[in-house]
Amino acid sequence: MLLLDYQNVLIQSVLTERFSGAPPASIDQTVSDFDGVTFHISTPETKTQILLSIQIRCFQDLVQYGAEEVLQREYGQYVAPVEPGFDFSVMVDLENIPETKEERDALALKFALLKRNAMAAPFEQAYQEHYQLREEASKFTSEEAPQGVQEGGQVKAIHYREEEAIYLKASHDRVTVIFSTVFREETDRVFGKVFIQEFVDARRRAIQNAPQVLFRNDPPLELQDVPGVRNTGTGEIGYVTFVLFPRHLTPQRMADVISHIQTFRDYFHYHIKASKAYIHSRMRKRTADFLQVLRRARPENEEKERKTASGRTFKVQGN
Amino acid sequence: MNNKRTHATNATAAASQGDSGMTSETKLARPVNCNKRGVNWQPARRRLAGPSPPLHSPSRIVRWHCWELRNQARNVIRNVHRRRHRRHRIPRARHLHESLLPLPSVSLRAVRRPPSIMANQTPAVVMDNGTGFSKLGFAGNDSPSFVFPTAIATKGPAGGAGGSGSGRPAVGNKPSFLTGGAGSGGHLSSKRGTEDLDFFIGDEAIAASGGPGYGLHYPIRHGQIENWDHMERFWSNSIFKYLRVEPEDHYFLLTEPPLNPPENRENTAEIFFESFNCAGMYIAVQAVLALAASWTSSKVQDRSLTGTVIDSGDGVTHVIPVAEGYVIGSSIKSIPIAGRDITYFVQSLLRDRGEADSSLKTAQEIKEEYCYVCPDIVKEFSKYDRDRSRFAKHVVTHPNGRQVSVDVGYERFLAPEIFFNPEIYSSDFLTPLPTVVDGVIQQSPIDVRRGLYKNIVLSGGSTLYKDFGRRLQRDIKQLVDARIRASEVRSGGARSGGLDVQVITHKRQRHGPWFGGSLLGQTPEFRSYCHTKAEYQEYGPSIVRRFALLGGPGGA
Repeated sequence: MLLLDYQNVLIQSVLTERFSGAPPASIDQTVSDFDGVTFHISTPETKTQILLSIQIRCFQDLVQYGAEEVLQREYGQYVAPVEPGFDFSVMVDLENIPETKEERDALALKFALLKRNAMAAPFEQAYQEHYQLREEASKFTSEEAPQGVQEGGQVKAIHYREEEAIYLKASHDRVTVIFSTVFREETDRVFGKVFIQEFVDARRRAIQNAPQVLFRNDPPLELQDVPGVRNTGTGEIGYVTFVLFPRHLTPQRMADVISHIQTFRDYFHYHIKASKAYIHSRMRKRTADFLQVLRRARPENEEKERKTASGRTFKVQGN
Repeated sequence: MNNKRTHATNATAAASQGDSGMTSETKLARPVNCNKRGVNWQPARRRLAGPSPPLHSPSRIVRWHCWELRNQARNVIRNVHRRRHRRHRIPRARHLHESLLPLPSVSLRAVRRPPSIMANQTPAVVMDNGTGFSKLGFAGNDSPSFVFPTAIATKGPAGGAGGSGSGRPAVGNKPSFLTGGAGSGGHLSSKRGTEDLDFFIGDEAIAASGGPGYGLHYPIRHGQIENWDHMERFWSNSIFKYLRVEPEDHYFLLTEPPLNPPENRENTAEIFFESFNCAGMYIAVQAVLALAASWTSSKVQDRSLTGTVIDSGDGVTHVIPVAEGYVIGSSIKSIPIAGRDITYFVQSLLRDRGEADSSLKTAQEIKEEYCYVCPDIVKEFSKYDRDRSRFAKHVVTHPNGRQVSVDVGYERFLAPEIFFNPEIYSSDFLTPLPTVVDGVIQQSPIDVRRGLYKNIVLSGGSTLYKDFGRRLQRDIKQLVDARIRASEVRSGGARSGGLDVQVITHKRQRHGPWFGGSLLGQTPEFRSYCHTKAEYQEYGPSIVRRFALLGGPGGA
């Protein structure tokens, strides 16, 4: 498994099973997802009505950047009154779902992508902003462009974890996505640096059309005036910058790019852990080899104890 | 086996929690005996940091275990005495238990704190990795989120080659760019690419092993982890792909079989703390969790952690006596009759009759759908002969759409009967389950026998047959009553007050240990029982040799 899925596997499997015409059953499960997201899937009133609620730490940020519209667009008729304690709810009635299996599977997938869709809102907004700015910028040459167009839009901050955030900035020729990352572990930080270096180098070596990746330990220039960004100077917080160029910004590729970039942090941490597992397995292998060598080893002159017929013991030097 | 040590940890936990703002009530809960007895109770800190018990030669291990058991039996006895006296004065144990868990009639959710309070607290992850199946999910749910085979499919042939010990090179299938030019590279160590990520777990592993290129491995044998390489990757995939959690944000509750060597615990802790950086972890014994799961039954009055657990899965059936949350290791018995044997037995009956379909899958379906336990085989046979409607027909649909009808007859009650009359199936194992259970309890310390008889808890898929508990209870009761009568006669006229035998059947039997874990993992005090990453780094892996007893009367 190189990449992580974008959808929540559990929600997908529960819904696919329910949609497949299995006898209605009551469900009441709390499901977790990355970044402290909590889902609650339940059948509060009747067994045929499945309510799916999501709780996201940064929902206020997302609403500010148009999450309501995106979710309304994606889930339209399924949107339900929000369950207390959660941020957004959708409800599906088993008596009222599409006929064919393909459509049902697609619907299950759509619900499983709830987190992805909620988090997609700021990205979509940044895309739109980019299109607008490009439109305006095409009217000017670079020298005479007015201030706003040249500099691009406001920085959008999504505080999706306690200490970490995603920053988005659209301008007329690019969209910049900046992740701030914090490592609690010294080892992880080392792994992380090596790993990110690979990202940075990838473009130089093989994959020319990959987005440009930059890594630094102090806030990049784009974040200079953003509230909440502080330069600790200790290098605890790393900033990973992705620069999306116009070829990533076509409407056709938007969905994919957003999904990919959202899972970056989870992908990053998954691979740090996988590398550790890999190193551990090499360590185990090496230890097993050494043990084998030790087992084969015999002292050259082994002292043997012998007994005489009368029961007395004496020692003999081996050959 | 960790009993004595865990007692010590009770004291440690209470002591160390004292400075982290524990209530006076909880301090009261510390077992009184721990530091009053001067014999082996060194100061807790020193015990933790000091050298672990010598575990080099088998004989020393055995000796050490014996010593452990002796101590533990002594403690159990002392505890029971103390508790009996104390209960009259302060009804503490009952009170704590009630605050710990919902009453049986109340659903799990009713006591859960509202999500707004939980905002910063992620649910604990409960993982029960068994020999056959792994049960994964979040604490507070009433069923595991994922149940799939504990299997991993890796590149290369199945079998021993994957073992960390054997250095035999696996045959690479393609000299792809992924191997980084190593071609048919041997072990993982010679691979420079991403081949270590090319594997599947669970149902996907079974599917992948059907095709070419992948070999199937089962990292757990007889309940214990054998291949740590595979297990580490199995865990990594279950966490990131299935559960989708960041281990740094969650606490983990893992299970282990009784008599799991402490080294295995340490290895587990190394993986969880060093590879995954998990926030905190707790390792519980499956049998103890199964006891906790039985608290949902309305028959259970006092929610103690004393009882006999009958854990019957696919491969083997264990009878495990547990006293006050500690497994009495010396009295555990295993029976080589379990789910798979019942399936084979059904299959052989189908074959004898010459049914149209006698595949293992059909036999398993019949076993799961039709079988039940009868009170008396002879009567049951005659009932069937009188009433033809008891015979059923099972329709098997083949993959090509053809339907075959299979008659289901006496195997409905004969199949589970092999627990009670093993001679009808096996020629080398002939002791019926009730006799084994009785024997196990008789081998246990005399003080706890009454509690063990009174709380016999079923767990595992092969205990789900209708009336299984009732029959078991009746048979054990007969054995016990016969013995009491005999001793009454021998004593010449003394009367016995009788002995209460009760087998608990409850709704969560199938995933008993997982459910028990879910129940205990959702309690607010669960986190205080866990060892955290910081503690691990302070003391080293040996810290996980001891855990305070979760859900026990001494804790909380």
